[in-house]
This record gives sequence, structure tokens and C-alpha cells, in this order.
Amino acid sequence: MNFIDPHRDPWRTLGGDDGPPVSITPAAHLLLDLNQWHAVRAHWPVGLAVGLKLANDQDVEGVAQDLPRLSLVALHFPKWVDGRAYSQARLLRARWRFAGQVRATGDVLVDMLPLLHRTGFDAVVLRADQREDAARRALGFFPGHYQGDVHDNRPLFAQPAGTASRLVADAAQRFVDEGAAI
Amino acid sequence: MYQYTDFDRAFVRARAAQFRDQLDRHLRGELPDDDFRALRLQNGWYVQRHAPMLRVAVPYGALSSHQLRALARIARDFDRGWGHFTTRQNLQFNWIPLARAADVMDVLAAVDMHGIQTSGNCIRNITSDAFAGVAPDEVVDPRPYCEILRQWSTLHPEFAFLPRKFKIAVSGAREDRAAIGWHDIGLQLVRNDAGEVGFEVLVGGGMGRTPIIGTRASAFVPWQQILVYLEAVVRVYNRYGRRDNAYKARIKILVKAEGQRFFDAVQAEFRAILDRDVDGAAHIVTQAELDRVAASFTVPQGVRAEAEPAADPSAPRAFARWVQRNVRGHRVPGYRAVTLSLKRAGLPPGDATDGQMDAAADLADRYSHGELRVTHQQNLVLPWVRAADLPALWDAARASGFATPNVGLVTDMIACPGGDYCALANARSIPVAEQITERFADIDEQEDLGEVDLHISGCINSCGHHHSGHIGILGVDKDGAEWYQLTLGGADGSSRSGAPTPGKVIGPSFAADEIADAVEAVLDTYRARRQAGESFADTVRRLGIDDFKAPANAVRRSTAPASAAA
Repeated sequence: MNFIDPHRDPWRTLGGDDGPPVSITPAAHLLLDLNQWHAVRAHWPVGLAVGLKLANDQDVEGVAQDLPRLSLVALHFPKWVDGRAYSQARLLRARWRFAGQVRATGDVLVDMLPLLHRTGFDAVVLRADQREDAARRALGFFPGHYQGDVHDNRPLFAQPAGTASRLVADAAQRFVDEGAAI
Repeated sequence: MYQYTDFDRAFVRARAAQFRDQLDRHLRGELPDDDFRALRLQNGWYVQRHAPMLRVAVPYGALSSHQLRALARIARDFDRGWGHFTTRQNLQFNWIPLARAADVMDVLAAVDMHGIQTSGNCIRNITSDAFAGVAPDEVVDPRPYCEILRQWSTLHPEFAFLPRKFKIAVSGAREDRAAIGWHDIGLQLVRNDAGEVGFEVLVGGGMGRTPIIGTRASAFVPWQQILVYLEAVVRVYNRYGRRDNAYKARIKILVKAEGQRFFDAVQAEFRAILDRDVDGAAHIVTQAELDRVAASFTVPQGVRAEAEPAADPSAPRAFARWVQRNVRGHRVPGYRAVTLSLKRAGLPPGDATDGQMDAAADLADRYSHGELRVTHQQNLVLPWVRAADLPALWDAARASGFATPNVGLVTDMIACPGGDYCALANARSIPVAEQITERFADIDEQEDLGEVDLHISGCINSCGHHHSGHIGILGVDKDGAEWYQLTLGGADGSSRSGAPTPGKVIGPSFAADEIADAVEAVLDTYRARRQAGESFADTVRRLGIDDFKAPANAVRRSTAPASAAA
């Protein structure tokens, strides 16, 4: 999981206090909203890295055909308990096979990390008060899960024989290793 | 009962460890109330009127004696010595201090129990028929499917933050004893003409401010496809359910608003998962998995068909009454399913002390192969009792206060904890339940009235299922005082009640000191107007509710209209 440092992040959105820009000059690492992307998509230079930020009530299907041209899709959690972006991420990966970065923005708490990881996010901009070390720790509590996810859609029952035992043994070993490191 | 694997155990312990970490961070000030709230809810911890309330998951109502003893220990060591069985087959504790919450989760984990997803805007405990696996009218045992659904829904990463809570109920018998029409998803196990097992799927049932019965989304989803189908339904809900208004956020609102478009979207999503997703068919349930899970749900060792014992003409009449009301037939000849009634004077409906929990565990060990069920009506069932053991069980049950012969009668009421315990309530429900229980203490009178589903909710959240009661009582807040609305003609979908439907309000609300009188007036009217063989529900259906309005209104004192009719 890539933890984005907003100060070092090359991606930038357009438009500020004066409202959205009238015209958009193609440049690298622009993160465009849906309206902006529709304005420029017909003539965006091939190979120029561009990103799309979707509101969590905008349909992923609508931009599906453009996904191969995008390096980044930024999804949004207006409140962390609004879970629509989990479905958006899932569809980007599993339905549309998007291979670029899927980034979580907005009200992103460390406790969301396991859910974000499993639905296909590979980058997060943590809320300002959230600590990266706590986020990493949040990823490590469970030996495995019952249902599949975007990395491997096979649920536990469809995994090769012995998987459940191996997962339990691995988790026990991790616990021992962490203890040994104290 | 489902036998936990090492993985299942490791998973529940990991969850307990995760919760402990979250609780510690919260108590240290690193995790503010607002953020901690959604996390603790997904482990079953509410902050309530007096103290944090814990809702322990009892998956589809199945409980072992070993687990029940652990619950008794928790009641004793962490709480004030009792617990409350709920309408979703779970157990609630009302007095555990939050600082001890993580310790309680560890005690639960040690007996394969938890509070995972018993609250929060996620998929909740999957409920079923308390007589699953033993009912004579069973078509397909729902329990293996309930367990498979439980695992699939546990910590599902996409569906942890839905617009609102999501409740699934499963029935496998000809009679619906799980009120499936009243759930966000109701699943009816059926066999098609070829004898294959599948689910009739209802979507969009619910109680609350807008009671609605679920609409059929599919007449037959093959059992292998049920997880994929549910994924489709819940994904459509997660994407399009309302998020702007918590009172309009259940899936029933989406179904009503979108109509056929909703069902088309579900069907399209279902096909898309299978046809287009990366390994989209991965959640097709395999025969091997069904067999693995079903292997836990066989008849307990030692249970085999027996001759029916001869009737004993010298048995006390009280015994015969108890058999008549609290004992049901069974798939296995010579066996019975016995309800331990948790409804009696002096105890809030569905409550049990730690002593009673231990006693019930003992009865389960002696008479039911260590197994119990929690019923949707807030009682306990011993599902594997030999008919030959009934006299001894009756003696033992009486000694522990479980043998009130009132199952299905008016004092076998459903009641939420209400304003005494719940910060959401508008009014108290326990005193109302108590008054009515006292009024109808006479068991002869109760038997004469016959089956009456009386459901009491302290507020519109409807945890007491008042909408589906033959008589429903709803606590309302008016001018800061407690008032009670009376509804008649509700049905939960069971045979005695008929097709599920919400009751209708019969007039302005009643004062706290009038409501028991109003109920009595309604039941008096039934006795006066019934025809031979008619149950209360039958008479209400035949007469309509208008005929009950005048008698109910006649009891009003403080709520009588200012200008009385001549």
C-alpha cells in the first residue's frame, strides 16, 4: 500500500478558489474531475500521464472505455462511513481490469486499510490526523478471510487444500516473530 | 452445530485482538468517539442509556450448552447477572463497562463467539427458524446455508459501510417461522420440479417508519449461485441506496423508488459478475463446501427413531397443558422440540438470569445433546428431546422457571428492552409487558383466548416487531410523556398469522395507564364476536379492525376526546 505524502505528491487537481479553469493545458500528473476529463479526453496527448478523480456517486461504467489511458483513478470518501468507493474500486479492478493506481482520498482512517486493500486500492491519502504506522499495523490482524477479494477472488473454500491451516500457521509464526523482535 | 475449524478460531481471536487495539487507542485518546463509534458497533457495542450494551451474535440462533455457560459467566463476572435474548436470536448484555469490553470479547472468542457485525451498517446476523433441522415440515435444512452465508458476509470488505443495516433471514420449511418477508433479504429454500435445491429471494422487506413486505426478486436461485446473487443485490444497494437521510436509507426504500429498474439492475449485475469479472464465478458454492459445512448439522450421535411412549393417563393436567403448548413434533419419530418459556410474571420478556442460563445449559446437556436454539420470539428451544424424557424435563424445567405453558399465547409476547434500557426508545415497554402479563395470569383464560401474537416496541425502530403482531404496541413520545399506539391485524408470515402484513393503527395513542385496558378490551371483543374455531387473528381478519375501535376507545380516560359523542 502506497501512503501518499501530499507534500511530495506530483499529482495535482485543477481549479482553486476562483473556480474551475476555463481551458486546460495538457501537462503531466493532472488529476481531472469528470467534467474536466470530458472536456479534454478527445485530444489528450497519448502517453501523457493523466488521472481522474471520481465522486463516489459517479458511475465507473461511464469511464470504462477510457481506463486504459488513465494512470490514476482517485476515489473519495466524503465521510469514512460512506462506503460507496469500495464498490467503485472493486468494479475498477474486477470488472474493468484497471491496472493503474486506485487512490483513496477524503476521510481516510487507518482502520479502513484492510477494506481498502482488499477492494483494490493501492494508494491512500490518510486523513491528516492519521498515522502511517498505525495504518500498517491495521493491515496485519487477520490470518486470512472467508470471501475472496480483488487480489484473489477465490473464497477460502475454493482455495487449495491446506490453505486454511497454512494461513493459521503463518499467522502464528508472524506473532512469534514479532515477539522475538522486542 | 457448526464445528469451528482452527481457521475460524484464529479469525475470531484476531477480531478480538483488533477490537482490543481499537479500544485501547480510544481510551488513550488516539481514536475519537466519532471514529470509534462505527468500529465498536461492528463488534456489537452500543453506548446506551445506562452503560454500553453488547449484542453477542448467536448465528441463526444455534447455541451450545458450553457457550451458554460462558454467557452466564459473562453475565455474572462482567454484568449484573442477566442477559436479554432478542428478536434476531442474539443475546444482549446491558451493564458491561466499556473498559472491560475487550476482555469480554476474549471470553467470547474462547467459546467460538463474538459480536461481529451485530450492529453497524453492514450485513447483520443471519436469522432462521429455531426449529431448523428438526421440524416435521422442513423441506431443506437451512442451517448449512446460513453458515455459508455467515462466513461470506463476515468482514466482507466491500459491504462494511452500506447506507444502513442489512438483515437476512432464511426459512427451509413449509411454514415461514423466520418472518422472511420482513427482512431486507428473505430467503426461502425450495426444491424445483427436478428436485434441485434453490432459493426464492425476497428483497426490500422491513419495519420501522415504513413497514413493507419484501418483493420477490427471483423465484429460484440455484443454491450454488446464492453468494453471487447476494453480492449483486448488496452491491446495487451499496452504490444506489440513499445516503442523505438515515430514515430513508434501507434497501426497501430503493426497491420501492426504483421498482423494476432495481430488479433489472440486480439481474444485470449478477450476470456481469459471472460473465465478466476476474474469476467472477469463484463464489459459486461448491458441493465440497456444502458437504463440509453440512457435516456439522447431522443428527446428534445417539438420536435415532424411537417408539412413541404410551400416554400416561395419571399425568397431571399441568403436564398435559405444558406438552400442548410448549412441545412440538419432530422429524425423528419419538422426539420432540421443547420450548423453554422466558415469559413469566416478574421477568421482562426474553430475559434470563445467569442462574437460569446455567440451568438451561444443564437441561440442554441432560435432555438435548448439549444444543439449544434462541427463538425469534425471545424464548429458548431444546431441539433434540426424547418424548420419553418429557415428564422428567417438565419437572426440571419447572424448577428453573422455564415451564410456563404459554408458548404462542398472549403472555408469550415479544418486547424490546424499551426506555428502561435503550437510549433510542420513546417509551418503556417492560412495564406494559408486565401489566399485560399480570392481567392474563390466568392460564385458563389465556388458553381460551388461544394464540395471540402481542408485539411491543418502545419506538419506531421496531426491535419489538410491533408491525407484525396480531396486536402491536408502539411507544411514542408526545409532549415528553409516554404514549402507546395500538395496531391490529399484523402478521409475520407464520401459519397462525397468515401472509406477512403490517398491522393498522386503530386510533390515537393511549396513555400509559390505558394501554393494558385497551388490549383487554380488544381481546374481550374477540371473545364476544368470535365464531366457532376462530383464532384471534381470524376474527380480526373477518371483522376488520373498525369493530375493535369503539371498545378500545371506551377505555380512554385521560385521552378521551374533549367533546364526547352522545
